[in-house]
Amino acid sequence: MAKYAMILNYKNCINCKACEVACKEENGIELGAKAHRIWVGTYEIEGKYPFLSIPSSTFYPSQCQHCANAPCEEVCPTHATYYDKNGVVQIDAQKCILCSYCMVACPYDARYVDTRTMSVDKCNFCSDTRLARGLKTTACQATCPTKVRIFGDMEDPNSEVSHILRTKEHFTLKAGIGTEPRLFYIK
Amino acid sequence: MLDHLIPHKSITLRSVFDFERTPFNLVMALTTLLLLAAFAGGFVHYLMHGHHAYGVTREHPWGLLIAMYIFFVVSSTGLCIISSLGHVFHIKSFEFIGKRAIFGAIITIVSGFAVIGLEIGHPVRMVIYNTLSPGFSSAIWGMGVLYSVYLFLIILEFIFLSRDDHKWSRIFGLGGLLVGIAAHSNLGAVFGFLIGRPMANGVFYPVYFILSAMITGCYLLFLMYGYKYKMVFNDEMQKFLMHLGRLLGLLIAILVFFEFWRFLTAIYGNFPERAETALHILGSFNFWVGEVLLGMAIPFVIILYSKAKALKAMIYASVSGMIGIFFMRYDLVHDTLVYPMQTMKLKEYQLAPSWVEYMPTMTEWAIAFGGIGICLALYYVGENFFFLDPNEDDAYFQNYQEEA
Repeated sequence: MAKYAMILNYKNCINCKACEVACKEENGIELGAKAHRIWVGTYEIEGKYPFLSIPSSTFYPSQCQHCANAPCEEVCPTHATYYDKNGVVQIDAQKCILCSYCMVACPYDARYVDTRTMSVDKCNFCSDTRLARGLKTTACQATCPTKVRIFGDMEDPNSEVSHILRTKEHFTLKAGIGTEPRLFYIK
Repeated sequence: MLDHLIPHKSITLRSVFDFERTPFNLVMALTTLLLLAAFAGGFVHYLMHGHHAYGVTREHPWGLLIAMYIFFVVSSTGLCIISSLGHVFHIKSFEFIGKRAIFGAIITIVSGFAVIGLEIGHPVRMVIYNTLSPGFSSAIWGMGVLYSVYLFLIILEFIFLSRDDHKWSRIFGLGGLLVGIAAHSNLGAVFGFLIGRPMANGVFYPVYFILSAMITGCYLLFLMYGYKYKMVFNDEMQKFLMHLGRLLGLLIAILVFFEFWRFLTAIYGNFPERAETALHILGSFNFWVGEVLLGMAIPFVIILYSKAKALKAMIYASVSGMIGIFFMRYDLVHDTLVYPMQTMKLKEYQLAPSWVEYMPTMTEWAIAFGGIGICLALYYVGENFFFLDPNEDDAYFQNYQEEA
């Protein structure tokens, strides 16, 4: 059993959006802005020229947080959303009744409706694509030119993920609501 | 076989359409037909285009149909609770409303199911996997199961009330009441459990839903009896409506009290997301005109200044009240979703961050208000087919009073 997690060295992000393209390509995500599993967010740059705030121009890649205490899993009436043996929050499209409760409950806006299967979809760490083929990286990680994303097993003390979590300060999103995300941002 | 199950009037197709041709009745009949046609049109459009026919989005996944479903089940639970004051708790002046109110509770929840059936993406799959793979921690699962049991119990309650079997009607009435309250507070918990939505999260909605249901029940009873008696009330009816008005006045006062503290605690301390959302709601037309003016202030002022004696005014005010209740249900859904969950994507795909917007499509309007057409049609058929008033069959009501 693994406990998969992802670390985002978000300050390295250059907003090339190669991760978004790779995700769509690898996982066969529908075209269009609404259907996306991952995204790169940006702030408006603060301040007036020439006194612009450099930190406010940072890019923020994100996606499903694969919470250990996932609100979406808890509210699903049919267990269509479930944790797999590696702690990844998965969706069984055959069981999804499209009540959309998980979309309302997700504090990270990580879910959307796949209009081909008419079920809710989201990131699954490429479980049914790359990981199923025996690869050790996700599509977004593999394509990233500045190595923003690092995917791996938190349970394995020798993994890069475990090493970074031990040695670098990091934070999670909306930590105060107790969802225990498995996406960690390096400070 | 039906004769053995429940007393009913003989009914023919001709008698269904043979009603007194007063202008008001004709308007009601036309309205009902138009609403039914709207529902049928919306249904066909939904079959052709699926969820694409709706205005819901990734950021606003619930919309008018969820609001309308809540509107109907709030009505059902409210009628059940108010009717139980009579035939479960034996408060004298409420005793005779039992059958009519419970029949109202049945048809409103059936209308609600008709609407939600077109909102859930896979209703058949829902029945299968709610049974084979139940998510016990899901408030939606609990609500669905409890409402199904509730509907079963109130149907039995109606049958035994109609048969003048007061022992079993009371047992099923109590069961329906308890399961109805459980189901309805569960519906409140569907919103109350949302930890990512600070404005909805917490104890408020499960409690508020019960209070709001009782208020809705009172408004509907004013409307049902106002229509039934064409604004001319005998002594018994006047006494009942006055008691109902006083109860409604108390309930609205409690609601105002609840809302006051809800918003003050939401704003106080400027808690992130919650305070902003509360202030946004307080700046909206829907809240002040829809919820406060129509839903609370107009009926409350009439009750207060007439000491609940202005019965005709209260009937009209109940129309305003029900419009207000609709706004409350719509706002409940919209206000829960209005704050964007833009975690680190404050400018996603070049869209500036803003309050989440939602506009129902014509299909949603047609299905939502078409649900009212289903309700009106079922009420009309029930009025013609069943004995909804005890005085239509003296023997039943006499026995009922003696046992009470």
